[in-house]
Amino acid sequence: MKTASRLLGTALHLEGFQVQDAPRYGAERRGAPIFAYVRAAKEPIFERGIIRVPDLVIVADDSLVPVPAAGVLQGVSEYTVMLINTGEDAETWKHRLNFKGTVLTLPAEPAERAELKFVGATCAGAAACLLGVVSKGKLEAAFREELSKHGEAVVKRNLDQAFAAFEKMEANAGCVSEGAATSVDESPAADWVELPLDESDIAASAVHAGATSVEVRTGLWRIMRPVIDYERCNKCWWVCSEFCPDSAIKVKEGKPEIDYDHCKGCMICVAQCPPHAIEAVPEEQFAEEKK
Amino acid sequence: MSEQPITIYKRMKDLPSTHILGAGTAMCAGCGGLQAIHEVYDILGKNTIFVNAAGCMSLLAIYPFTPFSGSWLYTSMASAPAGAQGVRDALDILLDRKRIKPEEDLKVVVLTGDGAANGIGVSSTSGAMERGLDFMYLCYDNEGYGNTGQQTSAATPHGAKTSTSTGAQGFGGFKKDLFAIWAAHKPAYVATVIGAEPMDLARKIEKAKNMNGPRMIIALSPCPTGWEFDPMETVEIGRLAVKTGIWPLKEYENGKVIHTKIPRERVPVEEYLKRQGRFKHLFEPERKDALINVIQARVDAYWASVESQA
Repeated sequence: MKTASRLLGTALHLEGFQVQDAPRYGAERRGAPIFAYVRAAKEPIFERGIIRVPDLVIVADDSLVPVPAAGVLQGVSEYTVMLINTGEDAETWKHRLNFKGTVLTLPAEPAERAELKFVGATCAGAAACLLGVVSKGKLEAAFREELSKHGEAVVKRNLDQAFAAFEKMEANAGCVSEGAATSVDESPAADWVELPLDESDIAASAVHAGATSVEVRTGLWRIMRPVIDYERCNKCWWVCSEFCPDSAIKVKEGKPEIDYDHCKGCMICVAQCPPHAIEAVPEEQFAEEKK
Repeated sequence: MSEQPITIYKRMKDLPSTHILGAGTAMCAGCGGLQAIHEVYDILGKNTIFVNAAGCMSLLAIYPFTPFSGSWLYTSMASAPAGAQGVRDALDILLDRKRIKPEEDLKVVVLTGDGAANGIGVSSTSGAMERGLDFMYLCYDNEGYGNTGQQTSAATPHGAKTSTSTGAQGFGGFKKDLFAIWAAHKPAYVATVIGAEPMDLARKIEKAKNMNGPRMIIALSPCPTGWEFDPMETVEIGRLAVKTGIWPLKEYENGKVIHTKIPRERVPVEEYLKRQGRFKHLFEPERKDALINVIQARVDAYWASVESQA
């Protein structure tokens, strides 16, 4: 995503815009949401920091939508265009999110893992078309400027993805409208400025129960699901349960049970089960069953 | 060496079948550090208070969520043992004034990564051992500053690529011998463990649990994100670290170091190295035998010295 914002930013710059592009990370771990912003204008830009009111939101992976930390709906309005990489249609998402603006979808290709790493190029290509102010020529020049150090093969594969996405979006070319420039006065004061002090006797953190982390459903991270074949499980009970880093395998009456609300899909249990009684099944299969 | 330590953990089935560390933490899938912590916590039990220096495990307890049954105190990187001193003193005062019963006393456990343990927090740890503080120190060692993107730490091994050692030879320095540094303080107990060897870990934590004074534990923590391997391989990589002799499982007690699992026929180190992206440059585009031999020679020299002392 960082590369996507860089590519788009460079293309806009080549088109004569003033540009800011920047990534924002949370904790550095696998599966954590990451953000990248591009701000462009013909006039000098005096705004700094994250974009509070986006004109275009691109969601590179639809599983981010229910993740609160991703905050994909932050600052959106009826003028916002949202592009989601998803297998479902735009109407479904518009309805589901109660979204007043325009929803477009970039159909997710059927689980081509090798193509997954080009999602940044896809997003940059689609965004360039939707903005309507970046030509394919400048887009290509931007890709060459940013990626040529990785060799021609990498440039070409990324460009193929970007152009394909650009062409898919052509029916909606230029649908993103430029929001009004914001002035400093309109920016809300940071909420910590007015933070009232608690009484000292209640200022201590109030976690009134142990192990509240179970409220966090880390099962959403999973792309593969471990499934126990109880015919083959030899009820040794300790191996999968002991090695699971997340305490997500409980043993009930000698039988291991996987807690799918919390299993992150690391597949250590699949690798370690002595009789190979645990199988890795793609999550998509279960999503289809639910429909 | 003939006397067998008294342990309730004689075989795998003696390990606890229920786990007290809550699910739902923000650790990466397949985290070797979390694996070790959940195994340690099972043995220590719920009457434990963790004093956590900044590191990956800062993300364990994000208000209002915590995987622990008891309290958790967050400190800066350098000062977790100082935080533990405060907690221990407070508990002692409460005990002294009979405001808590002896059975309500808590075990104080410092939890830090290798960055704090080997670098920025060495001084306060040294001070705590010097004062004979009654606490346990658990270092999850993933050989780099993991939660900021795996920069080089003082525990990074020779030749490994990190985000600050990106050259053709990887990290030019050598992993600091934290076990020896800690043992030189002559604390009550020092041990190395790994989540992939849960029996060895359980016996050591059981032993440490029943001691007083500073008890220092280093858990090598295979890190799928920082070491670049598939999360499902965390246990296999951990076992290879032991079988190659790269991670010696040992303990220090009463002035003596005992190796608890000696790999009699050591697997060549390259079997461990080639499965991790951080050592990929040792094999591609061409094999760097000189560098692999340096790593192998240091492991061989270590075990030769162990055998000569046996």
